[in-house]
Amino acid sequence: MIEKALKGGRGYWTWIAFLLVVIGFGVTAYIRQLTLGLGVTGMGRDISWGVYIAQFTFLVGVAASAVMLVLPYYLHHQKAFSKIVIVGEFLAVSAALMCMLFILADMGRPDRVLNVMLYPSPHSMVFWDVMVLNGYLFLNLISGWAVLGAERKGVPPASWVKALIYISIPWAFSIHTVTAFLFAGLPGRHLWLTAVLAPRFLASAFAAGTSILILLTFILKRVANFDAGSEARTKLAVLGSYAGLANFFFLGTEFFTAFYSNIPSHMHTMQYLYFGLEGHAPLVPWMWLSLIIGLVSVGMLLSPPLRRKSGALVAACIGMVVSIWIDKGVGLVIGGFTPTPLEQIVDYMPTSTEITVTLGIWCIGMLVLTLLLKTAITVKQQA
Amino acid sequence: MNKFNQFLVALVAGVAVFVAVGFFLIAGHRGSASLTAADVVAQTPAAVGKGAPVDSAKCIMPVDYMRAHHMQVLDKWRKDSVRKGTRTFVNPEGAHFDKSLNTCMGCHGSNPMFCFMCHEYANVKPTCWNCHLSPMEVPQ
Amino acid sequence: MNQNRREFLRKAGLGALAGLGAAAGLFPAFALENTDLSVFSDKPVEGKVRWGMLIDTRKCLGDCTECIVRCHHDHNVPDFGKSKSEVKWIWKSEYEEAFPTASAQFQSPEVEHRRFLTLCNHCAEPPCTKACPTEATFRRWDGIVSMDYHRCIGCRFCMAACPYGSRSFNWEDPRPHVKELSNTYPTRMRGVAEKCNFCSERLVKNELPACVESCPQKALTFGDLNDTNSELRKLLAANQTMQRKPELGTLPSVFYII
Repeated sequence: MIEKALKGGRGYWTWIAFLLVVIGFGVTAYIRQLTLGLGVTGMGRDISWGVYIAQFTFLVGVAASAVMLVLPYYLHHQKAFSKIVIVGEFLAVSAALMCMLFILADMGRPDRVLNVMLYPSPHSMVFWDVMVLNGYLFLNLISGWAVLGAERKGVPPASWVKALIYISIPWAFSIHTVTAFLFAGLPGRHLWLTAVLAPRFLASAFAAGTSILILLTFILKRVANFDAGSEARTKLAVLGSYAGLANFFFLGTEFFTAFYSNIPSHMHTMQYLYFGLEGHAPLVPWMWLSLIIGLVSVGMLLSPPLRRKSGALVAACIGMVVSIWIDKGVGLVIGGFTPTPLEQIVDYMPTSTEITVTLGIWCIGMLVLTLLLKTAITVKQQA
Repeated sequence: MNKFNQFLVALVAGVAVFVAVGFFLIAGHRGSASLTAADVVAQTPAAVGKGAPVDSAKCIMPVDYMRAHHMQVLDKWRKDSVRKGTRTFVNPEGAHFDKSLNTCMGCHGSNPMFCFMCHEYANVKPTCWNCHLSPMEVPQ
Repeated sequence: MNQNRREFLRKAGLGALAGLGAAAGLFPAFALENTDLSVFSDKPVEGKVRWGMLIDTRKCLGDCTECIVRCHHDHNVPDFGKSKSEVKWIWKSEYEEAFPTASAQFQSPEVEHRRFLTLCNHCAEPPCTKACPTEATFRRWDGIVSMDYHRCIGCRFCMAACPYGSRSFNWEDPRPHVKELSNTYPTRMRGVAEKCNFCSERLVKNELPACVESCPQKALTFGDLNDTNSELRKLLAANQTMQRKPELGTLPSVFYII
C-alpha cells in the first residue's frame, strides 16, 4: 500500500522536498553534536536536560492522545470517528517515532543505546518507557495498517486486529503515565515530585492531542479533499475542552499546595516559572502566555456556538497546542531543574545546533506522518 | 502435498539450515583460534600449588591463547573487578594475578608499541586509550 | 500473493524458528564464547563493609583546597574553565547550598561564612542507581556508589535523580582539558557521567582516600560504618553530626560536624 505515497501532485512533492531539506539541516547539526559532544547544546551540569527531553515529553502526550479516537470508536461505537481513527493511529506512530529520536539525540553515547535492552533494569523508569513506547508504536502501526489493508480489499479486518486495538487503549494511558513517572519519582526536584503529575500529563496530552487532530482534519480537508466531518471535529473539541479544563484544574491544585503550605522548596520552582526568583525570570512571560491563551482556548472550546465556527475552532486549537507546548515543552523540564540541588539558579538557552536538530526531528516525524496519511487517504478515497 | 506434510518439509528444511550454519560457525571458530581455555589446561602440566607471587615473569596464559582472547579476558577482568569485586585471577598453573590492566602493563608497558603494532597491522581500533593511559602516555 | 506460497513461507518461518531453538540447544558454544576462566576465591561479602566519612568542618577552615586539588589531579578531573561543562568530584559549598533544608535563622556569622566540603554521599538508598537504566551506576558490595564508564549511555538520569548535585557529565572530550595526566586513574570519555568513587582504586591497595590523606588539618575521617569499633563510629557516637537532606531518605554515608 505504501506505493500510494509515491503518487502526488506538485503541492505534495513541494512539501516533501521542504521536509527533506530541513531534515538535511537537522542531520548536519546532529553530526556536529556527535563529533563535538553534547557541549554544543545549551545544556550543562545544572540544567542537564533541555529541549530534547522537553519535546519528548510533549510528544508522548500527542502519541497517547490517539486513544481519544480509538476508545470512543471501538468501545462506544461513535461512528462519527470512523473516517479519522486511522489519522489518530498514524499520528501516534509518528509521534512515538519522534519521541525515540529525541531520546537518541539527547544521549551522550547513542552507540550504546542497546545497553538498555542488554542490561534490563526494571527499577529504572527509562527501561519501562522504552518498552511501552516501542510497544505503542508497533501496536498502532500494525493495527492501523491492517485495518486499512482490509478496507482496501473491502473485507472486515482480521480478528487479531481487534485484540491489538483493545490492548492499545490501556497502553496509551500507560505510555504517558510512565513518562510522568520518569520525573515524578525523583527526590529533590519539587516541581516534578507530585502525585498529580501523571494525571496532569494525561489531561494536557488529551487537550493538545485532540487539538492537533482537529487541526489535521482541517489541513486534510484543504490539501487532500478529505473531510472527516464537522460532527467528528465537534466531538473532539468537547473532549479537548474538558481535558484542558482538567489540566488547568490540576495546575491550580499545584499552586495551592505549594503556596498555602509555604514550604520553600515547593514554592521555589513555581516562583521561578511564574513570578521570577531572586531576579531570574526568563520564563515568566512564556508561562503567563501559556496560561492566558490556554484558558481562553478552553473557554472557546467549551462554548458550543464558538466551537462550531471553523475560524474560532482553528484559533482555539492552535491556542491550546501552543499553551501546552510551552507548559510541557519549556516550563516543565527546564523549570524542574531550578533551583539546582545546591540552591543555585542557572538559566538555560538552547543553541542553534540544538534547535536545528529539534526541527530536523520534527520534520522526520511530519514526513512519516505525511507518507502514512497519504497512503491512508488514497486507500480510503479509492475504496 | 497436504498441509501437514508441507509443514514437516518446512520444519526439516529450517532445522537443516540452522544446523549447517551452526556447524560452519563453530568449525570456522575452531579453525581460526586453535586454543581454548580447556585446551590449555590439557596441554600444560598440573598446577604446582597455590601461593605463586602476584607479579609473575610469565604471562597469565600462553601466548596463543592471549593473542586470540585478550579482549575477552580484559572484558571479563573489568566486569569482575569493577562490578563484582572478585579481583584475583588464578591461572591453570596456580599463579595468582590481580585482575587489572595494570597487571598487563606491569610487563607489556615496557614496550610502548606493544598494543599498537598488532592493532595497526590488523587495522582494529579499540577505544581503550580514549580513557586509559596508553604505554606511550604514561609518565615514565 | 499465491495462497500456497504464503502458507509455505509462514511454515518455513516457523521451521526456521524451531531450528534456531534446536541449534542453540545442540551447540552451547554457538551462543557463548568458550572463554570461561572463572576460578574465584575472593568474592567479597555483600554488605559486610559500608564505607563512610566524617567531615569535621570546625577544622576545615579558610581557603584551603588541598583535598580538592589532590583528588582532581589523581582522578584526572578535567577543568573546562566554565561552570556549564564543569566536572567536579569534591568541592566547597556555602551552608545554605549544602544544607538548604537545615537552614537556621540567626546563624552565627562564622558558620554562615564557613565553606563546607561537598562530595558524593554514597547513599545507602541512592536515587541515582535506581534511575540508571543500564546499571552503569550501582551500589557496590562495600556501599560505594560506583560508576561503570564502559556501560554508561549518557542519558543523565542519575544527574536528575541526585538531590546533592554530586554528578557531572562529560559534555566535551575531557582529555585535552586535563592539565597534568596522572597515571593513578583513567580519564573518561565524552558522553558519560562521573562522580566521586571514594577512591576505590586506593582502597584496593589499603590506602585511605586521597582527600583524607591530603588534608593538612586531619579534618576528614574515613572508615567502616558497619564496624562499631571503627574510629569513625566512635566519633559519630561522641559528636552531634549532620547528613545532607536527611528528609529524602537517601541515608548518606558522609557525615558533618558543624
